[in-house]
Amino acid sequence: MAENRWLATGNFFTSYRAEQRIFLTNIDRLVFTCFLLLLFVWPLVFEVSNKYMLVIDTILIAIVAVYGLNLLTGFAGLISIGHAAFVGVGAYTLATFARILGSDHVLLTHYWPLMILLAGGVGAVIGAIVGLPSLRLKHLYLVIATLSFQMIFQWTINFSRFYDQGQTIAIGRVFWFAGKVTRKQHYFFWYYVILLVVVVLGFAVRNLLRSKHGRCLVAVRDNDRAADAMGIHPGFTKVYAFALSGFFAGVAGALHAYLWRGVGFESFTLHHSISYLAMAIVGGLGTLVGSFFGPVAILMLELQVENIAEFVGHYFTAIGDVATAFRPLSFGLVIVLFLMFEPRGIANWWRITRTYFKLWPFRY
Amino acid sequence: MATLKVDDVTLSFGGLNALFGVSLDVQPGLITSIIGPNGAGKTSLLNCVSGFYHPTSGDIYYGDHKLNKASPHQVSIMGIARAFQNIELFSGMTVLDNLMLARHKNLHYGLLAAMVFFGKASQEESQNRQYVEEVIDFMELEPYRKQTVGNLSYGIQKRVEVARALTLAPQLLLLDEPMAGMNIAEKEDMVRFIIDIQKERDATVVLVEHDLGVVMDISDRIYVLDFGELIGAGSPDEVVKIPKVIEAYIGEE
Repeated sequence: MAENRWLATGNFFTSYRAEQRIFLTNIDRLVFTCFLLLLFVWPLVFEVSNKYMLVIDTILIAIVAVYGLNLLTGFAGLISIGHAAFVGVGAYTLATFARILGSDHVLLTHYWPLMILLAGGVGAVIGAIVGLPSLRLKHLYLVIATLSFQMIFQWTINFSRFYDQGQTIAIGRVFWFAGKVTRKQHYFFWYYVILLVVVVLGFAVRNLLRSKHGRCLVAVRDNDRAADAMGIHPGFTKVYAFALSGFFAGVAGALHAYLWRGVGFESFTLHHSISYLAMAIVGGLGTLVGSFFGPVAILMLELQVENIAEFVGHYFTAIGDVATAFRPLSFGLVIVLFLMFEPRGIANWWRITRTYFKLWPFRY
Repeated sequence: MATLKVDDVTLSFGGLNALFGVSLDVQPGLITSIIGPNGAGKTSLLNCVSGFYHPTSGDIYYGDHKLNKASPHQVSIMGIARAFQNIELFSGMTVLDNLMLARHKNLHYGLLAAMVFFGKASQEESQNRQYVEEVIDFMELEPYRKQTVGNLSYGIQKRVEVARALTLAPQLLLLDEPMAGMNIAEKEDMVRFIIDIQKERDATVVLVEHDLGVVMDISDRIYVLDFGELIGAGSPDEVVKIPKVIEAYIGEE
């Protein structure tokens, strides 16, 4: 029988390996490739201001961080409200180097890909240590344990002279093949770097989830007793989930430090931790696409709400305070509405849309 | 194949003895049943063997391995698989993933190989998928392969539970009430599966079951527990004649 690789209809698998593929039809792959190309090309075509590029870079960094949180909370079922602290660990790894060696040391400016990986590694180690309580604690109690890590992190940074009591520690401009990345190129350069990281890590997560190392996470989430009986060490798996999540957070933190050319403690507070959790929930816990939708939705919402609040403040000066309160209010409202009406997040809308197009135009 | 030997096992929770001086042998290649009224300690005994509980005193041997302090994942690696009484499947995963998960110990690729998913990882996955497909074929689960387990009916979930234990390629299979809450037709199917598991897949089966008709029909050897103590042992014909067993099941006149 002739194989049809383009449509879902008539696409017969003749080997198990064929069924493992990420893109089951050629159309899927083509659309995805085009989308990816578009992401790489559009900044060259359109004139974008630095300010807007910064917003986009921030969203991309949040995506990297949410990859980690989604693995931990969505797939392994271990709720963490200390994720911003893990991101902070990555950023402060660079800050440590900057404090000891100087902000323009060759390690930071020339070997930055290495430093990003190192920050991920440090994140993973700290993640594994913070994950140790998960051997004994479950559910809400574990949440409190992660919260305490968030507090410990904030206090450590705030009260140590070495980290300048949380004030911004500068990180120098990096070099690449064409020399120093100038002020003008900065945001565009990092857009491409972060985009590359997002794509590479995205595929890594996707691959992980179809392998034994991803399955065991879900097994521990669904039923850790049964997972134990199936030959999986549940304690080890939980600590490994924390380490994995710490790695992604660490990488995000290093990117954050390079993008903002400095590390300050106010980017890694409890508020940010909850923000990350909100991104994961709104995007869709336990789905990979959710890690993209969540950060985009939440950060865009924050931006728009700020614009609206400013606009309202111009015309109704008396209710300026109300407009300021609008931002946290809308943020909370969105989470509550999602939890009530679409607990599976935006990823579920995406799934419905995809199913529609899969069958289109032949609906049964 | 190894013999499972439970030697004078006592399991107590505080002052309560769930098991008291229980000794039994499970001979390889046979179907051994453990019966008894509710609360007799049948599941506690299985829990001791599969590592969820550790006996307070006494020893459990599987071949040369001592299982007293072994944890469930160590026990499962020795070739002892367990199907639970209350369905304990991974409800958010598909049937296929549930079964693939039981192949965990047979997949040897590392984390990096998994992230690249090329060569070794991909190859091992498809090889183990082959094994999983054999089990799916054996347990007649083909129509449900890609369905989320949580959405399946009770009878099918029970079957997936047994299939998952079978995917571990066990030498000793512990089945905890595989027929609870099933109708006659489903029970007949399950009995057929259990006999096939013993005959075709050369596994030793330990069956805990309340349906005495089924137990008497398919068991090679029966152990009867009551209030944590062993009150009878033998072939089906012998067991029904033991006065204590009759007393426990039917009561005194």
